[in-house]
Amino acid sequence: MATTTATVSISSSDIVPGSPVSISASTTCMKAGLTTGLEKMEMGANTLTTGEGSTSLKLATAAGADGAGKVYLCNKATDNTFYLRLDLHDTIVGRLYAGDWLFIPWSQNDTTNELVIQAINGSCPYEYAIFKEDETRVAGS
Amino acid sequence: MATINASVNISSDIMSYPVSISKSMTMKKAGTCNGLELANGLSSKKFTATTQVDLYAYDTNTTTSGGANKVYIRNTGSDKAEYFKVTLADTTDAVEEIGRLYGGDWMLFPWEAASADHDIMVQPSTTEIMTIEYMVFYE
Repeated sequence: MATTTATVSISSSDIVPGSPVSISASTTCMKAGLTTGLEKMEMGANTLTTGEGSTSLKLATAAGADGAGKVYLCNKATDNTFYLRLDLHDTIVGRLYAGDWLFIPWSQNDTTNELVIQAINGSCPYEYAIFKEDETRVAGS
Repeated sequence: MATINASVNISSDIMSYPVSISKSMTMKKAGTCNGLELANGLSSKKFTATTQVDLYAYDTNTTTSGGANKVYIRNTGSDKAEYFKVTLADTTDAVEEIGRLYGGDWMLFPWEAASADHDIMVQPSTTEIMTIEYMVFYE
């Protein structure tokens, strides 16, 4: 069984006056409802240009449905005005500005639940990693 | 201007070689080098029903649409069989599920807060007591 651990730390001494924020959390990424670790992953890096419009980062598949997948995505652009917009199917999740990252669960609750990204205001180099349970493989031609 | 730092570390032995991802960010306002200035404070909610509810609702008074808002959510439980379904409201499908936070799982994501149809909603998987903690950083 593979072990995938994700840890986050958030800190700020001045966002809440007189009350510093310090959050730390760690989780071991398991398959849905089990104590067995996720066993599949893919990671990569690319650059998305504004001309490419909305692009699928990853399609949802029936084999991955209702899973406990996890997604890491980082916008490696350096211009503060360039951002990656992340959509789930036809719903905007949010904007990853230069240097921002996200870590979310992705349950692929139906096969239209794809991850879509779009570069706005300029080209965005990005890196990603997806940890998952399974996916539907495409037949060779 | 406040300074909010967030870092993530992911390690895995799924591959035959170690996978290690480490990244830090300073939360800034959209398109600027100025830090986010507002937060709701670290909060927690206890649930004893499987009803889907707003965890954090879009509010024109406190939320900047199209900004660089960030949301942290964690299932504080330890049971890997129990989860919170996290969804965003959607104008066409009513709800778009992001994913499921099992015991101990956390997430940190940007929130567009485009309209009142983009509330952050959660739904426990069981009527057993479940607790979620969350914090929203916004412009």
